[in-house]
Amino acid sequence: MDVKDKKEQKKHQHKHSGPKAQKKKNKKQGGQDTEEDARKRNPKAFAVQSAVRMARTFHRAQDLKTKKHHIPLVDRTPLEPPPIVVVVVGPPKVGKSTLIRCLVKNYTRQKLGEITGPVTIVSGKKRRLTFIECPNDINAMIDVAKVADLVLMLIDASFGFEMETFEFLNICQVHGFPRIMGVLTHLDSIKSAEVLRKAKKRLKHRFWTEVYQGAKLFYLSGMVYGEYQTREVKNLGRFISVIKFRPLVWQTSHPYVLADRLEDLTNPEDVRQDPKCDRTVCLYGYLRGTFLKNKGQVHIPGVGDFGVDDVSFLPDPCPLPEALKKRALNEKERMIYAPMAGVGGVVYDKDAVYIDLPGGHARQQQEEVRPTTELVQSLIGTHATLDAKMAASKVSLFTDTEALSQEEVEASGAKQGPTESSVWDPETQRQRRKAVFSDKEDDDDEDDDDEEDDDEEEEDDEEEDEEEEEDDDEEDAEDEEEKNEEKTAPTVVKKKEEEEAIIKPSDQSAPPPPVKRQKVEVEEVVKKRKGAGKEEVIAEMPVFADSEDELEKSEGEEEEEEEEMADEEQGERPVKGKAPADSGHCSEEEGDDDDDDDEDDDEEDDEEDSEDEEEGVEDEEEEEDDDDDDDDDDDDSEMEEGAEKKAKGSKVTVQKQEEEEPMEDVEMSFDTEGALRWKQDLAQKAAEAFVRRQQAAPNLRKLVYGTVAEEEEDDGEEEEEVGGLFKVNRPQKGKKLRADAMDCSRFEPDAGHDWDEEEMLASIKDCFVTGKWEEDKDAATRLKEDDELYGDFEDLETGEVHRGRDQAEGGSDGDGGEDDEDEEEEEKPLVRMDDDEAAKNKRLEKKRRLKERFDSMYDDGGDATYFDDVKEEMKKQAELNKAEFESMEDEARVQYEGFRPGMYVRLEIPSLPCEFVTNFDARYPIILGGLGASEGNVGYVQMRLKKHRWHSRILKTRDPLILSLGWRRFQTIPLYYIEDHNGRQRLLKYTPEHMHCGATIWGPITPQGTGFLAVQSVTGSKAGFRIAATGVVLDLDKSVTIVKKLKLIGYPYKIFKNTSFIQGMFTTVLEVAKFEGASIRTVSGIKGQIKKALRTPAGAFRATFEDRLLMSDIVFLRSWYPVSVPQLYNPVTSLLLPAGQKDSWSGMRTLGQLKHDRGIRNKPNKDSLYKPVERQPRQFNRLQIPRELQKSLPFKSKLKQQQAKGKTPRDLLRPVVIREPHEQQVAQLLHALNTVYHHKQKANRTEQRAKHKDFLKQKETQEQEKQKRLKEVRKNLYRTIGQKEKKKLKSSLKGAAKDD
Amino acid sequence: MASHGLTYEGCNFFRQRLVLSTLSGKRVKIRNIRSKDDNPGLRDFEASFIRLLDKITNGTRIEINQTGTVLFYQPGLLYGGSVEHECNTQRSVGYYLEALIMLAPFMKNSLRAVLKGVTNDQKDPSVDLLKATAVPLMKKFGIDGEGLEIKVVKRGMAPGGGGEVHFTCPVRRTIRPIQISDPGKIKRIRGTAYSVRVSPQMANRIVDSARSILNKFIPDIYIYTDHMKGASSGKSPGFGLTLVAETLNGTFLAAEMVSPPLGEQPMLPEDLGKTCAKLLLEEIYRGGCVDSTNQSLALLYMTLGQQDVSKILLGPLSPYTIEFLRHIRDFHQIMFKIETQAPGEEESKGGEKVLMTCVGAGYTNISKTIK
Repeated sequence: MDVKDKKEQKKHQHKHSGPKAQKKKNKKQGGQDTEEDARKRNPKAFAVQSAVRMARTFHRAQDLKTKKHHIPLVDRTPLEPPPIVVVVVGPPKVGKSTLIRCLVKNYTRQKLGEITGPVTIVSGKKRRLTFIECPNDINAMIDVAKVADLVLMLIDASFGFEMETFEFLNICQVHGFPRIMGVLTHLDSIKSAEVLRKAKKRLKHRFWTEVYQGAKLFYLSGMVYGEYQTREVKNLGRFISVIKFRPLVWQTSHPYVLADRLEDLTNPEDVRQDPKCDRTVCLYGYLRGTFLKNKGQVHIPGVGDFGVDDVSFLPDPCPLPEALKKRALNEKERMIYAPMAGVGGVVYDKDAVYIDLPGGHARQQQEEVRPTTELVQSLIGTHATLDAKMAASKVSLFTDTEALSQEEVEASGAKQGPTESSVWDPETQRQRRKAVFSDKEDDDDEDDDDEEDDDEEEEDDEEEDEEEEEDDDEEDAEDEEEKNEEKTAPTVVKKKEEEEAIIKPSDQSAPPPPVKRQKVEVEEVVKKRKGAGKEEVIAEMPVFADSEDELEKSEGEEEEEEEEMADEEQGERPVKGKAPADSGHCSEEEGDDDDDDDEDDDEEDDEEDSEDEEEGVEDEEEEEDDDDDDDDDDDDSEMEEGAEKKAKGSKVTVQKQEEEEPMEDVEMSFDTEGALRWKQDLAQKAAEAFVRRQQAAPNLRKLVYGTVAEEEEDDGEEEEEVGGLFKVNRPQKGKKLRADAMDCSRFEPDAGHDWDEEEMLASIKDCFVTGKWEEDKDAATRLKEDDELYGDFEDLETGEVHRGRDQAEGGSDGDGGEDDEDEEEEEKPLVRMDDDEAAKNKRLEKKRRLKERFDSMYDDGGDATYFDDVKEEMKKQAELNKAEFESMEDEARVQYEGFRPGMYVRLEIPSLPCEFVTNFDARYPIILGGLGASEGNVGYVQMRLKKHRWHSRILKTRDPLILSLGWRRFQTIPLYYIEDHNGRQRLLKYTPEHMHCGATIWGPITPQGTGFLAVQSVTGSKAGFRIAATGVVLDLDKSVTIVKKLKLIGYPYKIFKNTSFIQGMFTTVLEVAKFEGASIRTVSGIKGQIKKALRTPAGAFRATFEDRLLMSDIVFLRSWYPVSVPQLYNPVTSLLLPAGQKDSWSGMRTLGQLKHDRGIRNKPNKDSLYKPVERQPRQFNRLQIPRELQKSLPFKSKLKQQQAKGKTPRDLLRPVVIREPHEQQVAQLLHALNTVYHHKQKANRTEQRAKHKDFLKQKETQEQEKQKRLKEVRKNLYRTIGQKEKKKLKSSLKGAAKDD
Repeated sequence: MASHGLTYEGCNFFRQRLVLSTLSGKRVKIRNIRSKDDNPGLRDFEASFIRLLDKITNGTRIEINQTGTVLFYQPGLLYGGSVEHECNTQRSVGYYLEALIMLAPFMKNSLRAVLKGVTNDQKDPSVDLLKATAVPLMKKFGIDGEGLEIKVVKRGMAPGGGGEVHFTCPVRRTIRPIQISDPGKIKRIRGTAYSVRVSPQMANRIVDSARSILNKFIPDIYIYTDHMKGASSGKSPGFGLTLVAETLNGTFLAAEMVSPPLGEQPMLPEDLGKTCAKLLLEEIYRGGCVDSTNQSLALLYMTLGQQDVSKILLGPLSPYTIEFLRHIRDFHQIMFKIETQAPGEEESKGGEKVLMTCVGAGYTNISKTIK
């Protein structure tokens, strides 16, 4: 029973009275009591009271609406964005490294040791992160703020905010505000919960005022085993992975790379000879921001401006997972890449091999490691010294020949090493690195190492042997090429492969991979450069087929095939010609192209564009003559070559065959004849489709840009040969003509077109509105379509129903189609299956048009604002941007777009100062910031500047200041100015306290609207807030317009009525002449004008004034004198300083510092010193009022002067009274009595006063006593009353009890 | 500190180099200017062009060696404002105007240039042609407004000159990307037949002969006759014709012909009219959305646009344009995607077309002041 009772719960009691019940009742009865209802009930209350007010509310609503809009920007984020840069900042000992370590562990399950340099990880299916720790150095803080996407700001909660935090926040504000998340650490050191809560709240609110209201602040409570708690880190990680970003202006308009890897490519020999020589350095990193163009200029903050020698992209070392099927990332996909921190598996590419010998993280990385570890082990295993090995080593050039020793190699006179010049090869779709020979020996094995291919990553151990063979073969071919070249060209150039081989530390049998794959073809092209007669020799990398993997897998068979093929199919091989690399500046070849290109364009069907051929059209006979001659020449050279070959005893046969190949179209193909045979064929197969597709385009492209890949020539070979020889034969004339030809943009018409012929006229007849129209635009078809759309209508008068013709087919777009129509529709497709496609297309088209019409009818009338239109336009543009180059290979795409953000790029930068390498410290971020057009130049920059309100001192004009502007940090000398109302820029000595002022500096040209900040020194950490000023760039100019006031002072030396002669203002007549007509003024305010110079005292002049001057007047002329801005631009080279001292950069000192350092004291102006004030008593003369004036004054104002008292006349003088002795005595007595009386009176009065005082005292005591008594009495009274009441209460209680 | 310079040889494409150098801020050195010529060095008209550049810029450094065979040019900032320039009569005003049109939108102050000299000659595109084609082209790139105008105040023919042209152009911070791949059909043909210091009847004769050819295609033809007298007629006699074909999509294709200068083999106005009409037909045959003289202008504006894809359909590239493309690559590292469009089988719309595509350099006008 009890259980049941408990289960039964009290039911809800419905209210039956009160306002709530009333409301409910109303609702039930009279329906809704909504606002609408109220409107109906009481229309007056909702009527327009005031039109003005209504307008205002409407305006306000609109204002609020538009305020929410951001300026629409074209979305330029790439499909695969670069990793997000997460910067961890905070004062020292706050837990930055620990946090990164924990986050990395959270994401990748790997523990990192020391955090040096950026750490890139895959954090999710679509997101990668790069963590950087910001050292506690204002230089690093500034740099890092420019590249950060997300800032994790660590704050020691037990201490509170530190100055660094605020400084960093201000830096961020200036350089575009990245996302900022605060993280409170050391929370465990606050013991009391109450204190902790308060501290959190206090810090949160301060943080909010700095960032924005509601900014995210994380709390990391205590550490467990030196790490933050897993759950908290996980939460933080989650927040990081979902955070969204707004594009920052500077970052989206400039390409930049946060370097995560660095290789020094300098020739070790150069370094040995001069340890301080400039270095060539390769920097790697993800490209961010925007497209990076090759050969651009970059700024490395802390180092300086450098031209980029070469940019290439590498396979992503930390790629996102390819398939997005699974829910979470698996172990394999949780990649980490941090070469500077010593993680990231193996990467090896052009420059170096980066090896990690790990305990073992993931399986895949292990695999990668294997081949290279062996390599290293083999290196370690060697015992002989390098020199000994070099002496002993031998190189075999060909498989069959005996090896050459070092002496032999040297004897062969191969002194030149190749330098690199990259060439784009659209055929193989990659950047090719052409070795160019120069006279100097400047490169060495390291450079050769460069030439190894990117693709080598895929190499496997098993392949090694095969590769060796293959390489030998290649070498064979190459060497043959070389010899060939040697003979054909007078300048003997030879690639120094042997030398390179010698330097290799390992022995021949196991050469390291980079060398093995060395496939450099040397081709030599003697190219006269515009009369300079310089000869350029170009060596080239061979072409690789696109699918290298396949090649390598089936290499064994392939090789044999190759041999055969090489022998057999000379005839059918694609033509391999060679073309000189385009110098870009009007080379001979281009000259030819241009001359003939108008002809080219008209003969569209002629795929081959051979210029010479076309010239041939003009003058065929001549050409044929040339032809023969050329052939003869060719034969001759062949003979010679053959002879030499035999002498050398190398494989002549192959070479011969190659010689015999008649087609060497110099013009057309870019690749060399030396490309390996086995590959040629494959490349051909692979490229065929591509070539066919782009047959026409590359030709035109080649015509313009001069580089195009080899392509199949279908046309007769003889002609090509002619083409090839033509080029050699007529070098100078055309070029010379072109270089100095008339500069005119007019495009002369084609002589081939005769516009009198009907045929020609007919060929353009469709260009006019009178001609035939396209199918979709033709008036007739459109009319028909309209019929289809709107054809069906019902004539209401007759009741007749008109139908569109193919209603049945296309009627599906109306949703309320009639039943019978639907049936028809179902039937029809069954009948006509074949032209279903056509019908479908038609239907789709119709649907689209209908939709368009509908949209235009209903959308535009509605909410579509200007803002929406712009947004729509931007969206379309973004789509086009994405779609345009999407289908292209990356290698080709890079050519048109530049390197797109998200790519992992390698930048080769020559001539970096050696300190950059020797003093390299991975903890400092290395940023490569791309510079836009003319941003590498220096000029005057005008800025709006405001002294930071937290900086303690105002800034002085001409005191050097360190600015962070754009990518750069530099020291410069600003001049401050303020703009007057008439636009004059007046120099200020100091910055105003709480106001903006202008500043002009001599510095790098940076686009307007870029923010900057200024610090006075970047050395160490100083007390106080270091950021001195902030501002924005307003204007760029090459001249300055700042003026300062100059007062010229003169003195009158002769004064006429209104004219005065002034001297001392100028020194010569000429000076005066310049200032004729200038207005002058006296100190007392009399204005005047300079009239004319006087002859006698040089520099004196005549001037007129509005009043007469006094000789004591000072005349001055106020003028403005232009000020020049000192041209100091001194980049802060903090990265070049030795490790550990990177925060000790000091530049030019201020005048104050200099004086302080040298102990010079400023001698003050004597006149400025304070002296004791000596005031002479001033004598004023009496006021004289002229008698006339006085007379005319009214009596009231008349001076009431006493007449001077003359001598009183005798009769008016009173006589002196002399008393009698008796009278005297009486008077004395009276006086004495009087005195006594007065004394008595006084004594009485004092006595009386004392008595009264006593009386008062007495009275007071009495009063007190009385009060006391009264109190006692009252007390007693109350007590008795209380007792009585108590008694009463008791008695009443008793009574009640009794009652119970 | 300053960005790397570029070195060229020979005096050809002189304007392109200096204009692109000014826009990109890269310095340029041109060597061997007519070094093998009997009269080596820069010509007067080139010197005049350099002087004009100096007038519209601020802080430009120009060094020329004694013989005038080597020129070093370090560009300053484009300043603009009111400029008056006496153009050398060896070349027409069009020579100078073409360069000014390229530079004008990127100045600090809007340009108001008064160019004096030869308005029409046989070498360069005349002022009338540029007025008819370049101005509408600029409008497509967002350079429009009241300020944009080319006005022929006085006409001066070839040897003597004495003409005057006013060119005003507003300033833009950025240039809009364009996608024009359909020229549309020609709806009308307009033209100006001008004559100075000859019988006014000449112009009428030109008009008649030109119409006789063009009437076969389209009836909507109107050719204005412009006979200038007195002070505005320059110093030399001459006559000429400029024809413009306008399409439905706002493409302007133009051709022109000028009588040979005094002293050379004279030309009948009828012949001139007919030749000019044929030239227009040739231009129509070439086709594209921009006529052949303004190809480089369109490509330049595309290059200097935002970092967005721009597309334009051109007729066959002229040698001048081809060289211009190379120079663009040198100065801005921008390459165009060049696709040839062969004419269709059935339609007869002239010759092969070329579709040029590029991604803009993200160029902003760094001269313009912000307040």
